[in-house]
Amino acid sequence: MGAKPVLIRPGRLPTIAALPATLPLVLAIALWLPINTLDAAPNTFNTALPVAKGEFIWREQLVFRERSDDGPMQRDVSIRALGSVLGYGVSGRLSTFVVLPYFFSKSLDVTTGNGRLSRRAEGVGDLSAFAKYTAYQRDFRGGTMRLSAFAGLTAPTGRHDQRDAFGELPRPLQAGDGAWDGFGGVVATLQTLDFQVDAQAAYRDNGRHDGFERGDTARLDASLQYRVWPASLDGLRGTPGFGYLLLESKLVHRDTHTVASASDPNSGGVQWLLAPGAQYIGRRWIVEGTVQVPVVTNAPDAAIRDDAIVRIGFRRNF
Amino acid sequence: MFKRLSLALGVLVFAGAAHADSYALGLKGVACPYCAYGVEKRLSKIDGVTDIRIDIADSLAIVQMRDGTPLTKQQAATAVEDAGFTLDSFEARAERGGQTGAD
Repeated sequence: MGAKPVLIRPGRLPTIAALPATLPLVLAIALWLPINTLDAAPNTFNTALPVAKGEFIWREQLVFRERSDDGPMQRDVSIRALGSVLGYGVSGRLSTFVVLPYFFSKSLDVTTGNGRLSRRAEGVGDLSAFAKYTAYQRDFRGGTMRLSAFAGLTAPTGRHDQRDAFGELPRPLQAGDGAWDGFGGVVATLQTLDFQVDAQAAYRDNGRHDGFERGDTARLDASLQYRVWPASLDGLRGTPGFGYLLLESKLVHRDTHTVASASDPNSGGVQWLLAPGAQYIGRRWIVEGTVQVPVVTNAPDAAIRDDAIVRIGFRRNF
Repeated sequence: MFKRLSLALGVLVFAGAAHADSYALGLKGVACPYCAYGVEKRLSKIDGVTDIRIDIADSLAIVQMRDGTPLTKQQAATAVEDAGFTLDSFEARAERGGQTGAD
């Protein structure tokens, strides 16, 4: 049927996460713009806050991700995944994490010379492991300021040879891409009893396997979380749960994929996304959700980009 | 007579302070319930701790000890640090003598 190579960018689940809050939109924008859309994301990314020594945290996040391009192939990609994270506190400053995505489905609809074609993959994705170290810490009554660095590897634990009636699935549609990747970055957090701000810069160096290399990504993230419940802490005894509204920003630059020795022109680009959401933080549980939508996209028409990402999840403090 | 009464009262007060079973720990850096729980978990691992209440709005942890079991400032500081935070103040609260040993 002469199907062209179909290249899509499979969703990379967030490697880990961190916290939330909200403030008026005006303040959020005022805060972000001067710092070049830093984004720290409670729900979509990391935080510089610690995991207590000898303690575990467990996080599950359901991700519904819709992607598409504006090219002649009219590719539509739907991803339904579960991201599992286990964190462990080695010390008050050093934490380690493993992240494992599971894809209930990664489906691709694409227009070919023979009409509309649907292809689908599923299964365990590539496992990531990383460590985070608090390099700077300034604590004060009712708040803290942290700067942490993190670095890790993604191992090719996901299948990258799934096939259907049309042959082997395109590599970006596979649950894994077969390559080892490295990533790292820095994340800063300012947390008070009323709000929290996170900012993160991260880079992912994607490896090459069997002639395919996903484009490297650089991203700046920022998150603002504002406590809306309880409205006041005056006279409060004990530690009740806090309710937050949050707004997160993500600016991501994706390099083009490399297939064989050629750069794939239908990939790469820059995208800026915003994610409003809500979060409830209890002593042992965090429940959270965001809807991430693109604000600005600068990419080739035929390059796949995000249309919307819905994340719903919880964290459990053991 | 007055001297004897004063002496007896002094002994009682001293005994109360020496056997404090409640401690107030001032915390720095704790600003969310999830973080407070990490501090609570580390403090609960100290031998003799029977109850912990964290007043997050006041950045204060109230630690109850089994009668006769002391809590040292070093123990408290290590537990709070292991949770990723900082001990700001340490105060033994004498339940019987009415005195405190603030530090």
